[in-house]
This record gives sequence, C-alpha cells and structure tokens, in this order.
Amino acid sequence: MVQTNEGTGTIGAPEGGERAVAALEGVTVLDLTAHIAGPYATKLLADLGARVIKIERPGGDPARAFGPWLGDEPGIERSGTYQFLNTNKQSVVLDLKSAAGRAVLARLVPLADLVVVGQPPAVAERLHTTPEALREVADVNVLSLTNFGWTGPYRDYSLSETVLYAMGGEMFSHGLAGREPLKLGGTASLIQCGAMAAIAALGAVHASEVHGISQRIDVSLFDVQLNSVDRRNSAILAYRFSGRVNSRPEAAGPAAAAGVAGVFPCADGYLEITASAGAYWRRFVEMLDEPTLREPQWSDPAWFGTAEARAQIDAVLYPWLLDRTRLEIWEAARGARAILAPLFTAKDLYADAVFRERGLWEQVEHETLGTFPLLGRPYLLSETPWSIRRAAPRLGQDTAAVLAEAGYDGAAIDDLTRSGAVA
Amino acid sequence: MSANLPLEGIRICDFAAVWAGQTATMYLADLGADCIRVENPYVWNPATRAAAPVLPAAVAATLPPWMGGHPDGDPGPRPWNNSPAFIHVIRNKRSFTVDSRRPEGLAVVKSLIAISDLIAENLARGTFEKLGLDDETIRAIRPDIVILHLPAYGRTGAYVEGRGYGAHIDGVAGSTIQRGYRDSAPETNVQTFAGDFFVGMHAAVAALAALRHRRRTGRGQVIELAQAECSASMFPQAALDAAWNSRSAGSLANRSSEGFAPNGVFAARGDEQWLAISCRSDAEWAALADFLGRPGWATAPGLESAEGRWGAQDELEAELANWVATRDRDELFRDLQEAGVTAGPVLSAKDATEDPHAQQSPVWQQLPATADYPATEFPAPSFTFSRSDIRIRTAPALLGEHNEYVYRELLGIGEEEYARLEAEGHIATTYAPEILGR
Repeated sequence: MVQTNEGTGTIGAPEGGERAVAALEGVTVLDLTAHIAGPYATKLLADLGARVIKIERPGGDPARAFGPWLGDEPGIERSGTYQFLNTNKQSVVLDLKSAAGRAVLARLVPLADLVVVGQPPAVAERLHTTPEALREVADVNVLSLTNFGWTGPYRDYSLSETVLYAMGGEMFSHGLAGREPLKLGGTASLIQCGAMAAIAALGAVHASEVHGISQRIDVSLFDVQLNSVDRRNSAILAYRFSGRVNSRPEAAGPAAAAGVAGVFPCADGYLEITASAGAYWRRFVEMLDEPTLREPQWSDPAWFGTAEARAQIDAVLYPWLLDRTRLEIWEAARGARAILAPLFTAKDLYADAVFRERGLWEQVEHETLGTFPLLGRPYLLSETPWSIRRAAPRLGQDTAAVLAEAGYDGAAIDDLTRSGAVA
Repeated sequence: MSANLPLEGIRICDFAAVWAGQTATMYLADLGADCIRVENPYVWNPATRAAAPVLPAAVAATLPPWMGGHPDGDPGPRPWNNSPAFIHVIRNKRSFTVDSRRPEGLAVVKSLIAISDLIAENLARGTFEKLGLDDETIRAIRPDIVILHLPAYGRTGAYVEGRGYGAHIDGVAGSTIQRGYRDSAPETNVQTFAGDFFVGMHAAVAALAALRHRRRTGRGQVIELAQAECSASMFPQAALDAAWNSRSAGSLANRSSEGFAPNGVFAARGDEQWLAISCRSDAEWAALADFLGRPGWATAPGLESAEGRWGAQDELEAELANWVATRDRDELFRDLQEAGVTAGPVLSAKDATEDPHAQQSPVWQQLPATADYPATEFPAPSFTFSRSDIRIRTAPALLGEHNEYVYRELLGIGEEEYARLEAEGHIATTYAPEILGR
C-alpha cells in the first residue's frame, strides 16, 4: 500500500541509485484525531512513510473549515490548514455515533500497528473509542491525545490555541508589563503538541518492534506545554529553586538592553540582533566597520550601561541600519560572524531564493485542484527521504478501498453507505 | 521485569548544545537511549549548561528568572550543575569529560563513536569539522551510524555561515513578526524560543525514524535539520496564505488566526490575574451570552455568526474586559468551562506549581537533593507509556559524573591510562582554571 518516490531534497537521493525505502514503511496508523495537534502528529509519521488511515466524521475534519483557502475560495477541499496537516493520508468517513459505524471501526483496528485517538474523554466514552475499549478490540498500540488527561478536575474542559498557551505555556511573561500577556502567532502551541505526540508514537513503534509488546500511550496538551523548553519548564523550575517568577518586562528591545540587543529597524523591515559586550559586540563592530566603537572603553562592560555609550551607539547604528536592507545586513553579518537575523514575514520566506533552492517548498499535485505549493520538509534524511507521495485526501476518498481491505464486499459497503454509517 | 524501553541498547554520542540540540537527545534518552554527553572542561559552550561558568548571586539576580533563578538565588561554585535553564535538559543522560581538541582526547571520542548508534551535534558552524569529525571520518569509524546535524539555516546554500540562537532562528522562520501588540512595532517584542522547542522535538522524530530504518536494514544515514526551515512548519496557515494568496498578516496579538471571535486575554480582579477566553463556535458564543445573562451587546443582530463577531471585535473585547475586570479569575474559569465556553487562566510559573490539576499530572517528578541543588520537583517526560518505563530514571547528569562509567566500563580503559588522562585534565568534574578565571 505504501509507495515511495524519489525524494526531492538536496541530499535526498539514496546512495547507489537503489529504490528508496521509507523510514516508516510497514507502519500502519489508524488516526481518529481531528483539527490540528493530532493530525500534525500523524502527518509527521505519514510524511516519513507510514500508512495513515484517517477516520473523518460525516462532513469531515473540522480543520476543513479553516483557511487560508486556495485562491481565496472557501471549500472543504481547499483549506490550507487541512491540506498541510493531512498529506500522505487516506480518508475514510465513519459515523461513530452509529452502531454500524463503530462495527466498521472494530474491523479496521486490527489492521493498525498504532491507533491515535483525540476525542475528549466524555465523547470517547460515549463512542467506545477510549484506549481501553480499543485495546480490547485488538492488541494494538493506542496513543491518546487529550486536552488535560483522563482524570483530574479539568478532564472535560476544552482548549483553544490561546487557552492552551495561557495555561500550559509561558504566556505570563510574553509581552510587556502593564499590558496583557500575549499568545504566539498562528496555532504554534497546538502544532508543537503534535510534534511531541509523534515522538511518543515512534517510541511505541520501537517498543513494539524491539520487545514485541503493544501498549497505551498518553499525551496531554496541557502537560506538553507545561514542559515546553521555550522558557516554561525553566521558569517553573526557577520558581521552585528561587521563588522568582518570570514576568513581563517593562520594556523590550533597544530600549531595554545595554549594547545592541533585540529587534531593530532597517531599510525594509526589522532584524533580531545580539551584540552585547564581549565577542559578539566585537564581531558586530567589525561588521559596522566603525572606528569610534573600537576605542578602549568598549572593552569595559560597565561602559555599555551608560547613557553616553547608548547615545554613541545609536548615532552610528541607526543610520547604518536604515541605509541597508535586511538581506544586505544579514550578508555582512555572516562575513563578520555577527549574531543577527532578519525578521521574515511568511511572504519573505516564500519568496526567499535561498530556501527555495534548498527545497523548502514542495509542489503538490492534487487530483481536482491541480498543482499548488506546500511548505515542505522539516528535515532531510539522506537514506529515507521525507516525501509527499499524495496530496491530502478528498473527503471519504478511500472509504470503499479501505473497507474492502477489511473484508467488506461491494454490497455490504453499499448498505453501510445507504445507512449513513460510512460515506 | 524488563523496562521495555523503546530505545534499549541504543547509544548516543552527544555533542548537542543549547536548547534545541539538548532537548532532542533528551527525548531519545527519555525513551531509553544511553545518551552520553561529551563535555570539554576547557571549553565553555554558551547557553548549554548555565549562563556563565562563574556566576555570583548578584549577577544571577540581574538575569531573567528562567536563566538566573538558581537554588536560593545562589548558583554557588558550580553553576553548571544547577541552572534552571539547562539542568532539566540533562535528565536521563550521562556526562563524561574529555578535551577533544587534543589528539589523545580525540582518540577517546573516536572510540566512543565506534560503539555509538547515533551522534548528535548542533555546535557553531565549522566546530565539528575543525575537531576532525566530518561525516566521512565518523562513518569510517562507524559505518552504520546515524548522524544528526541541526544547522541554523542548512548545511548548503548562501545562509550556511549564518549564526544565531533561538530568537534569531524564530525571526527567520516568521515567528517573531507574527506576535506582539497590534498597536506597536516589532521592536517591543520580547524574545521567545518557540523554535528551540519545535526543533528539538523534530530532531527526535527524525532520529527515531532513522534508528528504525537502521534496525531493519543495518544502514545508518545523515540527518540535516535546518532549524529555520523546520520552525517554519509552526506557521503553516501563514505560509500558505503567502504562497497561495500573496498575503502576509502581521501580528493578530491575541486574536485568533482561526477566525474565532471573541478571542482574547482579559484582566480579572486583583493583581496580574488574566483570563483567556475563546469562543470557538457559534454554540460557545451562545453559551457565553447566556452566561452573561444576555445583555444587549451580546445579543445584537449579526453576532450569531463568527464573521459578524469578527467585525465587532473591538466592541466585544471592550465589553468583555469590563465584565471580567470585577470578577475572580479562577471562579470565572471554572464557571465558563462548566457553561461550555473555552476559557483558562494565564498561569504564572508560581500558579502552575499550585494548579490543582497540574499537581495530579505526571508532568513533574520529585528528585532527591545533590550537593548542588535541593530535593525538587523536576520537569518529567510529557508522555506516559503503560508498559515501557518512561520517567526520569536518572537525575540530570552533573559535569563528569559518569567519567568512570564511560572510560572504564564502556571504553575499557585501564588504571594507568585513566590516571594519565585525569592528570592531563581530560577527566574532571569541574571546568579548567582558565574557564573559571583562576
């Protein structure tokens, strides 16, 4: 069932011209998750060669209702959120609210090495899709993604990107003192949780293949964020160690730090610069090629904190930056080993010739939508290339084929379709 | 009884630094790999074990808490063994020391590579090659090894010499420009390190895939994860809006990129009490309106739909802010959730330790005291397995804690040689005097 193609990455071609074998060839995943976190986890598996059978509710994964839309035209097959998160998957529509739909599910579970579930606990109990119920059907790994786990006072509470980062992540210290704390862009926190679930899923695959066991694996989104390395687990440990609480600063960027540290403007946008006292400062000054900043007082860290130092820096720095573009400055910085980078918008990233040449963007062929660009591989594997073998599935595109594989004949599939149990 | 560890028998030669690299190997160590940190007592790797090798309490106090909040505010003589920013990414690992820049040290490293299944590095550009550890050399020593590189912008292309930490990589990936207040320029954006978290996890995913392939075929491979490219996948909606519709949204601040409205963070009664509220559907909006007692502003025509509410956000946010301001954050959180509205408190680090739900979760694990820190709850793996023994099995490795294990047990080095390497400063549990400024 799993087909592998040649990879397109710069180091993607396997040695010796042999047929590339996908890293996760032979792993079958039955995916009952929806929206963002769960589908991202199974996308990571699918893009490395696992076969992922996605179970969608009648009407489809709610992610199909989220943009951006291809050509700004809404439609359940045109959702950017869905197209990105569901590459290389098959779509089977099952109504798990019906007994007939659940009976079909019970025949699909034994096909899988790993079942991934994401319904809220109360819903899973109603639909008989709890990890226990599924593991009674067959001896398979079941990975459960929940908002808050299966026990505890918040068990049945809901989450959004904003609430997840507020409670789990380090929102409290993101932003400025006296103003509201801020979320991250987009749905970054939810997607992060999907990556953690993929680690757990692959752990289960290894445990199965090495020890011959299957098991239940639990990932709660709240827990993933509480232990985010993006200043969250460290902030919590620091509080336990010292009683100090990470909070939002009074000011940020140029106004807050000695030397040059933070976000600065230039001719066509902004740069993140780290050039406080020491080696990073010396490299930065080398980049500016400004003799006055090489005078002896600049080797004294205390001098950096003075208003005079600030004024001298600013007098040189801003005209230099505002006279140059981000890419010009970044190039100069690379030559001097200075630590800075441009702030890219999504359009900058799409237009960037260097990332294009490296193959960051993938052209995907879709049966009905034609060819469109998709954000491509997060990593290059030299022997087992990441690849998009198939665009995200149309709703129910694989229902009949997968049911046939599970032993249903044409008449039975017709009956199930007529009853609305499958679509 | 077997611990059923997924990566039982896998050894990692770990040159990973900072957060992205060190978390990558930590997840593999959590899953049972024998992860051996290669540490050089003559080299201070920035942002890898602590803010600085010598860190007086007065200096630590000037650092942000996540970086400077050492036990009782005092890092003591070994800041590298108790940094809140880094010690937790050393859980389940072992540490040994060697000066890999000297020939006899490099020989030790090479003998470790010869018995390793994976080698990981994200050192500054050129460092590994300068040590003489290019891919070809590594594969000559161990042909079936998996090599994990995490360059900032790739090992090929014009940006190859680009240097940066998490904040710079976040900048290029598009993270920085998509957050911040809507009424101020990006210059006021504080640093976050979302990409470090994301990259560390993805590097572990790629390594797990490569290790599976290796087990089935006997073949290793080279993984190249360009951190900025990987981090871009945190923002697929923005990326595709740019690619498909030539559009780049700036920051939406606390508004929803998914079109939920209202969606925001509001001040509740008291000091620094913030509540996040998201109406993810028309049903949640109706539930919120009901909960509010259906005041006029909440039931105005047009607000039944998300599109209508999106256009009325300024007004809705102002009304909600007024309404939340006089109420208790935690009561409102529980009441709104019980009423079917997605809401949650902005938990400070202190709040998180006191949260009644988090206290019952497996996310922290008590570890005993060492000479460098007191008994404390440490961050534990964020996943639980019913049959594999996934937890903090060994406490964060102190510098050089496993010298005996690595040199004697793994590498079979005898008494005399061990004593010589120790005398020559390779084997140590502290940094060299020149690093400590003595």
